[in-house]
Amino acid sequence: MSVALRFAGVGKLYDTPTGTVRALEGITVDVKQGEFLSVLGPSGCGKSTLLALATGLDLPSEGRVEVAGRRVDRPVTDVGIVFQTDVLLDWRTVLGNVMLQVEMRELDAARYGRRARDLLRAVGLAGFEDKRPYELSGGMRQRASICRALVHDPPLLLMDEPFGALDAITREQMVMELHRVWNETRKSVMFVTHDIGEAIFLADRVLVMTPRPGRIAEIVDVDLPRPRKVEMRESHAFLALVAHVRNLFVQAGILQGDRHTA
Amino acid sequence: MSEGGTGSPTPARRRSGGRRWLDRASPILVVLGVLGLWEFGVRAGGVPAYLLPPPSSIVQRIFADWRMLAGHTWVTTGEILAGYVLAVVVSIPLAALLARFRPLENALYPLLVASQTVPKVAIAPLLVVWFGFGVLPKVLIVFLICFFPIVVDALIGFRSVPREVLWLSRSMGASQWKTFRKISIPAALPNIFAGLKVASTLAVVGAVVGEFVAADRGLGYQLIVANGVMDVQLSFALLIVLSVLGVVLHALLDLLERAALPWHVSQRVGAGVHGPAEGTA
Repeated sequence: MSVALRFAGVGKLYDTPTGTVRALEGITVDVKQGEFLSVLGPSGCGKSTLLALATGLDLPSEGRVEVAGRRVDRPVTDVGIVFQTDVLLDWRTVLGNVMLQVEMRELDAARYGRRARDLLRAVGLAGFEDKRPYELSGGMRQRASICRALVHDPPLLLMDEPFGALDAITREQMVMELHRVWNETRKSVMFVTHDIGEAIFLADRVLVMTPRPGRIAEIVDVDLPRPRKVEMRESHAFLALVAHVRNLFVQAGILQGDRHTA
Repeated sequence: MSEGGTGSPTPARRRSGGRRWLDRASPILVVLGVLGLWEFGVRAGGVPAYLLPPPSSIVQRIFADWRMLAGHTWVTTGEILAGYVLAVVVSIPLAALLARFRPLENALYPLLVASQTVPKVAIAPLLVVWFGFGVLPKVLIVFLICFFPIVVDALIGFRSVPREVLWLSRSMGASQWKTFRKISIPAALPNIFAGLKVASTLAVVGAVVGEFVAADRGLGYQLIVANGVMDVQLSFALLIVLSVLGVVLHALLDLLERAALPWHVSQRVGAGVHGPAEGTA
């Protein structure tokens, strides 16, 4: 199985007025073709930095990052990116926002236009193609931005806490949605989140990170059957994984034994 | 998602026919009310016409002298439009450059601010010395007075593009020019229009200042003449023509803005009150 995204001994240092700060240390992990990797950690653990390195918007201080076997030394274009904010353009319609991807890449408008409409329908936005973003709820907006990240059929999808700005119930809906879309397309995904349940539910493997500096605590295999159902969140196997990951944070001193939160 | 998502968007609230009519008519009603009070006050109080003429006599004067007024309006309008267009053509590309190259902004911005703090009335005589009594110094004053608000607002507009959008654009492999065309320009338009509207009202002031200093035609020149012979009625007639000129210019820009930015928050029905909360589900 080929490797979609590779981090090999990656470290990242930042210069600040008070000295050099280490954001990442010794990150080595592969996202295999068709694998869903969650990157889980508290804020400040460098998980978003990791994602920035994967996109080539930032470059590592140590080690190397590869996308599809090619060293990343400039912004990677063969990806779809979803940010925490939907960053839809206010002046474009929902369809127009998805088609921005197509226009910027100068792809065939007719062919990808059909694909854009299919994607919007698949995430329940049929009938909203000609609406402006301000007419949509937060969840619908983020769905449109996911369609924008998928319309050009990228082999690799990078998601930076995409559901972080949504309320808990919408969030759970979106997780199910993403799981369904992923199950149908089997893209390679790097999904950054601070939500333990979300990370496990979606992933083949969960990269658990601890902060200062950002290090890998453990890469946890999620051996749960697919497609996953909502009820699985109550299953014994799922809860055991949650407890295991939570214990990693307790050991790292991020969570207190009796004051844990998910 | 089959049940239609996480919450339907708030529909734009339709106003009843009567309320909408009142919304449209209220500025006209206010103006008519003020004119009515003026007319009544002047007549009832016995104020002499050489101090404050009643509006009805001013309107009569406008009709009586319309040919002369139209000639001067034509001259002043030409100066306003020439200076304004010049300001637009220079300011917006300049703002785009300043937004793109931060060192350039650091270098030029203090000069821009300084250029704005010099009173235009004070440089008007200099411009006359350099460029004579013709149309050019008036056009330049209009340009100078309009230039700054357009640059400042356009610069804010070009800077308003969120970092993530620029990242997204780079991940799409878009060239800088394409990013500028498809993202920066539309993102800056609301601010650009704000600057254009402020400048449109200042443009009228600029033209009049220019004509005050040295001119042999134009509404500003005629205003000096009317004041010189204590023709208060004509002064008022000229003031009304000038303010109508400013209002028309502003209204044209407003129309243009509505056509160009149907998506913008300022155009939404019941904006800020009935609209869906941003960023929530």
